[in-house]
Amino acid sequence: MITLLDVLLLLFLIFCAVAVARIRDLLSAVIIFASYSLVMAIIWQMLGSPDVAITEAALGAGVTTFLFIAAISRTRREE
Amino acid sequence: METVLKLGENFYYLTAMVLFIIGFHTMLTHANLIKKLLGMNIMETAIFLFFVSAGYVQGGRAPILQPGQQHLYVNPLPSALILTGIVVAVSVTAYALSLIIRLYRHYGTLDANEIALLRAKEEEDN
Amino acid sequence: MEDLVARSVCRLIVPFIQLYGAYLVFYGHLSPGGGFAGGAVVAASIVLYALSFGRETAEKRIAPGISHLLESGGGLWYLLVGLVGIMLGGSFLTNKAAGFYLGIPGHLFSSGMIFLLALGLGLKVASTMVTLFYNLSTEVNDEHGNGT
Repeated sequence: MITLLDVLLLLFLIFCAVAVARIRDLLSAVIIFASYSLVMAIIWQMLGSPDVAITEAALGAGVTTFLFIAAISRTRREE
Repeated sequence: METVLKLGENFYYLTAMVLFIIGFHTMLTHANLIKKLLGMNIMETAIFLFFVSAGYVQGGRAPILQPGQQHLYVNPLPSALILTGIVVAVSVTAYALSLIIRLYRHYGTLDANEIALLRAKEEEDN
Repeated sequence: MEDLVARSVCRLIVPFIQLYGAYLVFYGHLSPGGGFAGGAVVAASIVLYALSFGRETAEKRIAPGISHLLESGGGLWYLLVGLVGIMLGGSFLTNKAAGFYLGIPGHLFSSGMIFLLALGLGLKVASTMVTLFYNLSTEVNDEHGNGT
């Protein structure tokens, strides 16, 4: 049975995805994407795969965000 | 009422589909290359969510069994597949970003349409 | 970046992140984690250090040359451990038949060569990420650089 916490986290995911799509500032979009990845890691822990959760928290929220920020700092920030 | 309950049972699949569509829409409708890449990342995570929730067993725990201990555990195969998928996703992102930096240095813009126009002009000049 | 808050928090938190990364690498065969996840966590801690203290300070700790060396060395180490199986009369990556020490299940040294493989894998992944960071955060001066 699905719990209220599941529904809240999944709705937060959809909200973050829409925000990433709508926001004009690329740096803000990347930071929102980092929080999206972090919530995704929590969901994976709840789905019973701690392996994926650890990897996602290190790679999705850490390395991917850094790569995007490095790319934005060397190109431009506005869309 | 029954439909709502069914929807609640499959809420993970529903969210995965919605996220996939949002990512796909972002990738198709935005001209900015970094925004396209963000949309691609959202699409990837949506697929991962679909896979992992497909392997979830109601009330199951992580598939780590200590000797002499029995409990219900989730299907470990999707997790193992998705672990590889995450690694590939990060590698693709790093590669695409390095290409984007190079494109920006050459054309001075991140807009895919402008880059296409500039390329057409370059080919005319040659 | 001269930010006191970022530096203080980073100085506090980096040892714990690295300890956790080492734990993930060493206990990969007993608990969630493994060479890849542990290496990524260690690399994230080094990137965090470099972001808050500046690249020059980080390069004094881990020089790009050493990072390059570890990257190739990790791959070679994996290959060598795999070849030991062939030397001892098995196939590539043979574990028990090649005579690796298998201890009591549940203890740290209970997986034979997997422990050694995870060590090489963690080193390789961590140094790859750090090299990626060094390369992406350097300005390439020439306009049409030849793929550095």
